[in-house]
Amino acid sequence: MNDVGAPPPVMEVSNLRKSFRIGLRMKRVEAVKGISFQVQPGEVFGFLGPNGAGKTTTIKTCMGLIRPTSGTVRLFGADHESLHVRTRIGFLPEHPYFYDYLKPVEILDFYGRLFGIEQRERKRRIERLLDRVGLSHAKDRTLRRFSKGMLQRVGIAQALINDPDLVVLDEPLSGLDPIGRKEIRDILVDLRAARKTIFFSSHILSDIEMICDRVAIINFGKLQSIGTLEQLLHPDRMSTEITFMSHDPELLERVAKVSQRVDRLGDYSRCVVDGRPDVVLKMLVDGGVSIDSVTPKRESLEDLFVKEAIRGAREQQMERNQ
Amino acid sequence: MSAAVDRTLAIASNTFREAVRNRAFIGLMILAIAFLFFSLVLSELAVRGEKVRVILDFGYFAVGLFGVVIAVVMGVILVYKEIEKKTIFTIIPKPIHRFEIIVGKYLGMTALLILEVGLMAVVWLLALWLKDAPISWDILKSLILIFCEILMVASVAILFSSFSSPILSGIFTIGIFVIGRVVHMVDQMLNARRGLFVDVPALRPFGEVLVAVVPDLQVFNVTQDLLLNLPVSTSYVVASIGYAVAYIVCFISLAVILFQRRDFI
Repeated sequence: MNDVGAPPPVMEVSNLRKSFRIGLRMKRVEAVKGISFQVQPGEVFGFLGPNGAGKTTTIKTCMGLIRPTSGTVRLFGADHESLHVRTRIGFLPEHPYFYDYLKPVEILDFYGRLFGIEQRERKRRIERLLDRVGLSHAKDRTLRRFSKGMLQRVGIAQALINDPDLVVLDEPLSGLDPIGRKEIRDILVDLRAARKTIFFSSHILSDIEMICDRVAIINFGKLQSIGTLEQLLHPDRMSTEITFMSHDPELLERVAKVSQRVDRLGDYSRCVVDGRPDVVLKMLVDGGVSIDSVTPKRESLEDLFVKEAIRGAREQQMERNQ
Repeated sequence: MSAAVDRTLAIASNTFREAVRNRAFIGLMILAIAFLFFSLVLSELAVRGEKVRVILDFGYFAVGLFGVVIAVVMGVILVYKEIEKKTIFTIIPKPIHRFEIIVGKYLGMTALLILEVGLMAVVWLLALWLKDAPISWDILKSLILIFCEILMVASVAILFSSFSSPILSGIFTIGIFVIGRVVHMVDQMLNARRGLFVDVPALRPFGEVLVAVVPDLQVFNVTQDLLLNLPVSTSYVVASIGYAVAYIVCFISLAVILFQRRDFI
């Protein structure tokens, strides 16, 4: 329940289910199994999950490309298919593709017309957007000659042509080189600074970690975790990496007994200790070993992602066995 | 209302712009015009007095044939490509009704076909003028009828491509075109109570369905009248336009219904 007077969630997905019939036997496959979540105004929300988890199906349902089997999607407190709501949304699909024989200016002009943006304003926005996504130099080239990364930038530009309040991006960073990724990431940061709500899925966890306020992890069509990174990445689940200069087999054997693992790194050895490193550090100091570094390691989003993927697979297996 | 019209026209103009630059369209247009010029060469081989008839016959055939081929190819490419290449993913989330997309696509196709038939008509009339052939109003009327047939085929192509693959859509559309050209014979056989549909009673209901559902495209074929210098009445042309419009509205409405229900996976 929302507070009286508080704006409604920008995105409100309730018990969303989607089944498809596939193959000649029309076998029923449930891609999304009762997902619920909310995205609040001004939030940068990361949507994670392995391939085939149901991310794209959820996003497409929210964007009106797929009709839900059951459940509801509300955007800005209204039905997600209402035209008024759609004027406030920018969407970039995964691997976007545009008309081969058109130029970026023509494509963006076309999308601008769909929003009913007046011609002079369209022209102004197109120039600004092309500049922003780094395509000003290629504005007179047909898209047939564009690389995958350039098409992705056109995709970002079309998603922003209406100056949307909610930007939904499905894998916006895929297919981009490191510079392209940074540029798109910068755009997302700018959008966040402009208090836009961003909902995006990505496989590139470092980017999600860098940009998102909250994340949801989905697997096998179910929502597995949702929350801020602080909530999801347990600070107490910490390990410490210690690098020291010794290959003494007796010492390494003693260190191995109290460590998670010990490796050799050229002239150095490295051990990873769960919890506090005091015991190993004392062992090394007493042995007169030179310690090169002591690095605390917190649980990363990647650790969480892998853990949730394994948990989801296990639950799925159990469901099948039942 | 005007916003819906603007959006539909945006889809139409984008469809036209994309299609007119498409290599398949440009290639077919070059071939069609070359074909018409070839009629000039061919007419030289005809016996005296038959030269004009060759150009007339050839031109009529070429405008119709290439019109239908372009309607099928572009109709199938334009909608299917939109779905297969997933451009549609960027359009549906915009503030636009799904029916506006189909209607816009069809209007874009119509503009393309006006260009195509217009260009071919100019070349055809030029060829007739070069041979000092009289250019009658009936030729213009025949062009209007060809255009109606082409527009109808385009609506069938859009209907099929709104739910099936391009190859199947192409086959289905050509199938409807061929059946449409012969369905009057099926009707005649059924009415005369003789022929295949009477000899094989199991086929009769099939024949009746064909006659009831498939448009009779022979309505638009006035070649014989032109060649025999018989007048084509204006009332006939108007009635044929009405017939075409009725079918086009049905096909496009069906395409809209199918498109409306479709999931874009």
